Amino acid sequence: MTPTESAPALTSSLLYLDGVCVSFDGYKALRGLSLTLAPGEMRAIIGPNGAGKTTMMDIITGKTKPDEGEVLFAGSTDLTKLDEVAIAELGIGRKFQKPTVFESHTVEDNLLLALKAPRSTWATLFGKPVADQRARIERILETTRLQDFRLKRAADLSHGQKQWLEIGMLLAQDPKLLLVDEPVAGMTDAETAQTAILLREIAKDHSVVVVEHDMTFVRDLGVKVTVLHEGAVLAEGPLDVVSADPRVIEVYLGR
Amino acid sequence: MFTAGNRFLDARGIVFLVVLIGAAIVVPALALLPKNAALHMPTYLVALFGKYLCFALLALALDLVWGYCGVLSLGHGAFFALGGYAMGMYLMRQIGSRGVYANPNLPDFMVFLNWKELPWTWWGFSAFSYAMLMVLLIPGLLAFCFGWFAFRSRVTGVYLSIITQAMTYALLLAFFRNDMGFGGNNGLTDFKDILGFNVQADATRAVLFSISAIMLALAYLMARGIVVSKFGKVLIAIRDAESRTRFIGYRVENYKLLVFVVSAMMAGVAGALYVPQVGIINPGEFSPANSIEAVIWVAVGGRGTLVGAALGAVVVNFAKTWFTGALPEFWLFALGLIFILVTLFLPKGILGACGEWMGKWRKPSAPRGNGEPAIAE
Amino acid sequence: MPGPDRLMSMNARARSCFRIMASALAAFMLIFSMPVAARADAVDEILARFATDRFPDTEKAIGDLAASGHPTAPVILEALAGNRLLFSPGTRQTYIGVEGASALDAKTGAKAGDVEIDSLKKVRLNNAVRAALQAAQGALGLMSPDPVKRRMAAEAVLKARDPAQRAGVEAALAAEKDPKIREVFTEARAALIALDPEAADAQKLEAIDAIRGRGDRESVSLLSAISGANKDRVKAAADDARAAILARQALWSHVQNIWYGMSLGSVLLLAAIGLAITFGVMGVINMAHGEMVMIGAYTTFVVQEVIRARYPGLLDYSLLFAVPLAFLFTGGVGVVVERTIIRFLYGRPLETLLATFGLSLILQQAVRTMFGANNREVSAPAFMSGSFEFGGLAITSGRMWIIVFAIVVFALLQLLLKATPFGLRMRAVTQNRRMASAMGIDTNRVDALAFGLGSGIAGVAGVALSQIDNVSPNLGQSYIIDSFMVVVFGGVGNLWGTLVAALTLGVANKFLEPFAGAVLGKIALLVFIILFIQKRPRGLFALKGRAVEA
Repeated sequence: MTPTESAPALTSSLLYLDGVCVSFDGYKALRGLSLTLAPGEMRAIIGPNGAGKTTMMDIITGKTKPDEGEVLFAGSTDLTKLDEVAIAELGIGRKFQKPTVFESHTVEDNLLLALKAPRSTWATLFGKPVADQRARIERILETTRLQDFRLKRAADLSHGQKQWLEIGMLLAQDPKLLLVDEPVAGMTDAETAQTAILLREIAKDHSVVVVEHDMTFVRDLGVKVTVLHEGAVLAEGPLDVVSADPRVIEVYLGR
Repeated sequence: MFTAGNRFLDARGIVFLVVLIGAAIVVPALALLPKNAALHMPTYLVALFGKYLCFALLALALDLVWGYCGVLSLGHGAFFALGGYAMGMYLMRQIGSRGVYANPNLPDFMVFLNWKELPWTWWGFSAFSYAMLMVLLIPGLLAFCFGWFAFRSRVTGVYLSIITQAMTYALLLAFFRNDMGFGGNNGLTDFKDILGFNVQADATRAVLFSISAIMLALAYLMARGIVVSKFGKVLIAIRDAESRTRFIGYRVENYKLLVFVVSAMMAGVAGALYVPQVGIINPGEFSPANSIEAVIWVAVGGRGTLVGAALGAVVVNFAKTWFTGALPEFWLFALGLIFILVTLFLPKGILGACGEWMGKWRKPSAPRGNGEPAIAE
Repeated sequence: MPGPDRLMSMNARARSCFRIMASALAAFMLIFSMPVAARADAVDEILARFATDRFPDTEKAIGDLAASGHPTAPVILEALAGNRLLFSPGTRQTYIGVEGASALDAKTGAKAGDVEIDSLKKVRLNNAVRAALQAAQGALGLMSPDPVKRRMAAEAVLKARDPAQRAGVEAALAAEKDPKIREVFTEARAALIALDPEAADAQKLEAIDAIRGRGDRESVSLLSAISGANKDRVKAAADDARAAILARQALWSHVQNIWYGMSLGSVLLLAAIGLAITFGVMGVINMAHGEMVMIGAYTTFVVQEVIRARYPGLLDYSLLFAVPLAFLFTGGVGVVVERTIIRFLYGRPLETLLATFGLSLILQQAVRTMFGANNREVSAPAFMSGSFEFGGLAITSGRMWIIVFAIVVFALLQLLLKATPFGLRMRAVTQNRRMASAMGIDTNRVDALAFGLGSGIAGVAGVALSQIDNVSPNLGQSYIIDSFMVVVFGGVGNLWGTLVAALTLGVANKFLEPFAGAVLGKIALLVFIILFIQKRPRGLFALKGRAVEA
């Protein structure tokens, strides 16, 4: 098996993408994307529309299968062979571009559903919530500043609160890797700043990949940046270095 | 509105159960009064109410998958009919040699078709326990096979609705065939007795009514148990955001499959109770229009409320009884209008609208929920 | 060939066939050798022989009469065959009995007024006479001036395989000019040669070739007979030819199945194509689609009745008027439905499904109230009735026109979507409503018109379906599930997919029918589609990618 053969060389990386290609009806969304992420690292991904950012997330979370290329998690697990649920169980959590929370559930129930716990039908049908779970929900409510809204239906939250709730749900899952797609889209400046703080806090004990357009926000995060363009990596490095790269300026920043 | 509280029984559920248990006692009592007593209830009314309860059970089953899990099945009539056929087969075997052809081994229609022996599909149906097992197993098995394929390959929304409709349509065509061995066009009828009691007798009718009421109550309790559990919360999560549910690690297909099978079994029980009370089961029960009509009962009562579904079934069928008696020409106009008006103006059904109105009345300043649950994908 | 004189002395019963052959041959010689008018008296003499009431005389008279070429000869022989040839024992005149107790003079065919019908006797028949009669009739038919009769006579010879007729066939073949009929004569002659124990093998092989060329069911049984009556080379050739014909027939039966399948497919296409617009392109689940088809069919009926009452001369063209009127009327209904119901339900497909199902109930009941529950008759115009053969294919004109019509409708629709400003706007709205709106497209208007277009096409389909189905309030119901199957199978949002799906399902249905039966075949297809959708939830020609998920 190729994944295990190549594993020893890659033990250091949590996520390893190599030469990933995928096309939809002839349109090549990804052309040979390669990327590695170290355990505990936080990475920001930027790039113009259509650069393949969301498709990359789809590939990692199993929503889309690549036409070719390797996608390995924790050094040896081949993600292309698994479906969304199995990947979620491995410990990869995802936040969508458009906030998707369970609108007719309360904030608490949203977190309860996301909480790391047995996911089988049997367990959910006959299991009882335990005190430890209550405590964890409580902590997450605190982290996401949603304590006062715990019994509110998610549908009734503001846009920013929904985004935080979704990040909170990610935390509840307690994944090894978080994929966060445009967390500050549509947020006010204050909310954006708070979200950056939130994400940095999370990054203390999780690996995080953030896809974002908002350069101020990326600067606030202060992490290594990868620039995608036309389905491949154009540049990688600290934001200052990357934003000085003439190619990046041409395709993305300059205009 | 749609979030079932964590309490196992809310006020609505208690009222519902009390009404059902009351009916299970009062209706038979009235029916068994002497014929000249002022409050005597004629048998035809008992059978009619019994029929309503069977439809209510079907609606409840449908609400469990549609209202809570967002799976709009246009084929629940098929599960209902299959349960009905299983019961019908038992009742046919009870006729014994009392049929027109007085054949002790074969039902009349088989003698008529010149069949020499009982097909294997009929084996065992002379035993009540076996027949009751089949009432649960056959719809359950069909739902399992169908759901296993459909949910695994993520057929959702209208696609699922359309193929469930195709499923019941295929069964309709199949059961019309004489060589299927289920009575073809005419179906199964002329039943004599059930567990040794005359099906036509007033007392049997009264007991059947009570059993229907009790089964509906039990089904409600079970459905309620499902929806207030964490399992039920997952169902609602699937309804609201299916792929999100998957991304946080729930095997959506297993959840859908389990609730679909449970619901199909409930529908089968409803069909089994229906057949002895109306005295016939024929392939017409598989007609796609029947299944869609059941959906509108749920919509009228209010989906995702369980009690509302049962209420809707009774209300719409009562209207049907009234119209077909008073203005037969206009029943289809009325039913068509119900479909249109409910979807346009009463998306949460009677119970939903009542609840909203009550909420406003209690807390005039309460913000209106802007989040319509996205029932559809 | 043995001469007639010698044969005369043999046992009559055993050799009657040879005699008849000879007399038939003689008859042809006579026909070609003398002018008809010159033998008027001879006819009297021949007819008199019918009156002797002796079988040999009658037998001889038959041959001579056929040979005489007398204009009433076929009528006389027919009367004889039908036991209606009478004679007066006194005057020795012959008459033809007709119903109503009167008689015609056999020679002139004029009414014989002065004769008392009860005094007449029937000319009697025995087997020998019947055989002679048949041969003579066959011979007369073969020589008939009417090509249709000649052809029928030749076909009869081919079926009867009576060696006695060989001479007659050969004579007729020599005289025949029409190449088509010559062919039949050649085949009839070939049949007789191949079964003749005395014919040479070479001749027989040639004959088998001729029969092989014919290639119908009759030739298969003929070749079986030939194979049974011969040995070695000839037998092998006959078996060969038979196998070849059977193979060819099997091929044609496949072609025929494909044709029937295309015919069914075109009906499915017509029924589904409107749905492909409303469901496929706009994403609206219109359960009342079948009722739009039904309304189109009733429009056809109304147009026909109006024309019948006002302009009977145009009745044959009523379908031509019905097509645009049905389009406009059902299209109008569609626009009204979109404005009053559908537009409030965009983005809620399941609710749309329920509302339109309610609408379908209302439309059905409305039509039932207006027109009654019974079937209404829509007659077929002259150009759509009848049938013709094409190769081994039997084609009914009605079916052919429906296929043509379906293709035309499909092509026009493609043109409308791809090459007109409306089509462009419609595609823009379906792809990105907000962007289209921002570009100044009136999306409400486009929605209404698109739904109207889908409904209008359903109405046009109703015009075609009125030709092959019962026009009743339930007409639409029988198509709605099939239509959805076609659209879903073909891939939503893809008209070409709808076309391929309709034809595939039509043809598959017709190929399943022979061994599964119509109902089981249909069930099998439904199950197939259910399973297919599991594998490819978005149909045959699905769009891929992120946009689809949205």
